[in-house]
Amino acid sequence: MSDNGNEIKFELREMDLFYDGFKALEDVDLDIECRNITAIIGPSGCGKSSALRCLNRMNDLVDGARVEGTVNLDGENIYRKNYNVVELRKRVGMVFQKPNPFPKSIYENVTFGPRLFGIRDRETLEGIVEESLRKAALWSEVEGKLKTSALALSGGQQQRLCIARVLAVSPEVILLDEPCSALDPIATQRIEDLLSELKETYTIVIVTHNMQQAARLSDYTAFFMIEEQGDPGKIVEFGPTNTIFTNPDDERTERYITGRFG
Amino acid sequence: MKMDLDTDMDVEVESPPLDEEEKAVGGRSDVERRMRERIERTERRAAICDRIATVVIWGLALFGLGILAFIIGTILVRGLTTALTPGFVFGKPEAIREGGGIWPMIVSSFYLALLTIAIAIPLGVGAAIYMAEFAREGWVTRVVRFGADSLSTVPSVVFGIFGMVLFVIYFGLGYSLLAGALTLALLNLPMVMRTTEEALKAVPCSYREASMGLGATRWETVKKVLLPSAMPGITTGAVLTIGRIVGESAAVIYTVGIFIRKVPTSPLSPAAPMAANIWHTYTEGALVSDWMRVANGEAAFLLLVVLVLNLLARLAANRFQKRLGAVK
Amino acid sequence: MQGAIGREWIVKKVLFVLAMMTVLGIVLIIFFVAKESVPALTDVGLGNLFSSTWQPKTGQYGILVFITGTLATTAGGLILGAPLAIGSAIFLTQMAPRRARSIVTRGVELLAGVPSIVLGWLGFTVMVPWIRDLTNSPGTGVLAASILLGIMIIPTITTIAIDALEAVPKSHQEASLAMGATRWQTIRRVQVPAAKSGLLVAIILGMGRAIGETMAVALVIGPASSFPSSLTSPTHTLTTKILIEMGESTGVQRSALFVMGLVLLLIAMALIITIRLVSRERKVAAR
Repeated sequence: MSDNGNEIKFELREMDLFYDGFKALEDVDLDIECRNITAIIGPSGCGKSSALRCLNRMNDLVDGARVEGTVNLDGENIYRKNYNVVELRKRVGMVFQKPNPFPKSIYENVTFGPRLFGIRDRETLEGIVEESLRKAALWSEVEGKLKTSALALSGGQQQRLCIARVLAVSPEVILLDEPCSALDPIATQRIEDLLSELKETYTIVIVTHNMQQAARLSDYTAFFMIEEQGDPGKIVEFGPTNTIFTNPDDERTERYITGRFG
Repeated sequence: MKMDLDTDMDVEVESPPLDEEEKAVGGRSDVERRMRERIERTERRAAICDRIATVVIWGLALFGLGILAFIIGTILVRGLTTALTPGFVFGKPEAIREGGGIWPMIVSSFYLALLTIAIAIPLGVGAAIYMAEFAREGWVTRVVRFGADSLSTVPSVVFGIFGMVLFVIYFGLGYSLLAGALTLALLNLPMVMRTTEEALKAVPCSYREASMGLGATRWETVKKVLLPSAMPGITTGAVLTIGRIVGESAAVIYTVGIFIRKVPTSPLSPAAPMAANIWHTYTEGALVSDWMRVANGEAAFLLLVVLVLNLLARLAANRFQKRLGAVK
Repeated sequence: MQGAIGREWIVKKVLFVLAMMTVLGIVLIIFFVAKESVPALTDVGLGNLFSSTWQPKTGQYGILVFITGTLATTAGGLILGAPLAIGSAIFLTQMAPRRARSIVTRGVELLAGVPSIVLGWLGFTVMVPWIRDLTNSPGTGVLAASILLGIMIIPTITTIAIDALEAVPKSHQEASLAMGATRWQTIRRVQVPAAKSGLLVAIILGMGRAIGETMAVALVIGPASSFPSSLTSPTHTLTTKILIEMGESTGVQRSALFVMGLVLLLIAMALIITIRLVSRERKVAAR
């Protein structure tokens, strides 16, 4: 339980991330609350995407990547030996910086996950597709052309399709890695609206380089930074978004935020 | 062997406690539960499949390595223990008595390789320069590429009978190093072209711009800037090509020859490269009682040469990469 | 300045001529092999050539046995070698930890360097006796040849398959894994389908390699010019028949050997064109 009584989903304690000998993150402490949006901000290269990828162990794909410390999901360390990573990634979905739909139809994209888990029944699948696309605010735009290639959609639509694809797996947490960086302002707005709705049901963690976005959208904000080139990234400050943006404790946070806000 | 079976393939799939899940779906019917059971079953099966596939794929790769180790080990050990002595390596071949050596064959192999390279490098590098620096994409490049692709798919024995007809008979070169070198130059042309083109493409564009910006013509740029930078890459390709020439026999047997007793002296001499001579030893084997020993030794020596050449090519490639790395 | 431009023009023309040598080469090969096959094609006739009895003494020049031999050994080689090669490519691109990857990569390079005559010699001295003892048969034949071909085509297929698998955007793999797919599900449902045409090209090139291979097969397949009674009894392929008889044949018989060469050339051309079609399809699909 956090101070305000909300359940804690993720609990990071003294987490370090190494790429071979290089320390990319140091001593990360973070509590991520259920059904809230937590934003991770910071200058580029500070390790904010790496930190996000620690939460569903996508860093496992990188040769030589190693995590030390604790990352608890519902009180269980996801880095303990024999932890079921496949199950973890089902519970913790991820949306990437660049929309990455499979070169298949819209329908096949959304049903990819459910099919993995053995759901073949057409009615069930169709139900999942409609529900996921509705939740991702894409249904009205693609209804009736589900069989067309996902690559024919616009960038913003593709990104919402990727969100729908994640929703179809019914995750508990959704991680978003700068999901709007490749999108225009209107598409960005739609995604932001969508996330505000989704947080009623899901725990959301979003990495963004856009501070207005973090300020508008999130309940909590973590500010990451590196001291100098080659140093590990660290959390400078973490707290309610309001506090971080109006009355930060740390001078560096203040400088970063005001510098950007002008 | 450490099997990196990762942690992501737990066979025991943990499922959330039943009652909580049921609360979530409002304690609804059997259908929900059966569906969930099915999903769990599928997941378990997927985890097992994943583990099996991992073991199988690891097994395939290790099996392949095992075969390779067996091939190289057997050939080398057998050759080294039964045949490879200085007297054998530097000795004179025997046609009917035992105790023959393979020195003329070794000389033949290298003579043929150098002669071939001397023809193939100017041809291949020139063609590659044209393709990479001068040609505009169009019918010319398409036709040239089609030609190169075709050449690299033609079986080497067909090169052999072609070389026999054109160079040995029609040009009157007879069975000779030169006839073989011309044939093999054509056989290896696509490879020389490809490695050179890759080496040229790896030279940063900024070099070209810098040189042409100073008013150099394209050819001056190629000569003074691109070729020197691409040289290690071209060298690597050349060394690998030498390895291929030394190992080639089907295209050599009917153009160069398969048995000689004297070291070949001129490009017009008939010769007997090691690879072709192994074929001779196999077919005419019974003539000398120790033919197995000769072939074993020759195979081992040939393999050693090829392995050393591969090592050299790798060293050259590494130096090349380091140099390019330093540029960045 | 004028001189520099003039020189540039000459250089360009010279390089153009060098580049056209590939074309000249393939044209000359086709021309001379075809020219030498003319006597057999006209005097013997297609009916005789494409029959199944090779008996030059009685004027029978049927090459069907050898075509069959080539097809059978190639099929055998692919059945044995392709799974290993594709498996290795999947291993190298998807599974191998760094050290294993560099060892296996080195291994594939080494295997590509092993001269085929050396492999053939090993097959003749080690493998054929094994097969002979195990099956109580002559030991040479399609099985022995298939095993050697299976080994020989691994480097070709693996190298191209690696390129094909690496060309699949990493984002597809990430998307699939992030949804809770296992690694194998990701390989099977995302990466292999996306690399399909590249893998097909790899297999076709491996096939070309197997059809054209001569020496490794020559030492373990013969000698017989008839259909084999089993997988472990002697026969011949197009390449090995050419190799064995070219030295001691004249006239129509020699010409018939060139017809076999022509058949090999036609197969090679067909493979090249197939690859072009497959690759074009891939480019269109990517658009």
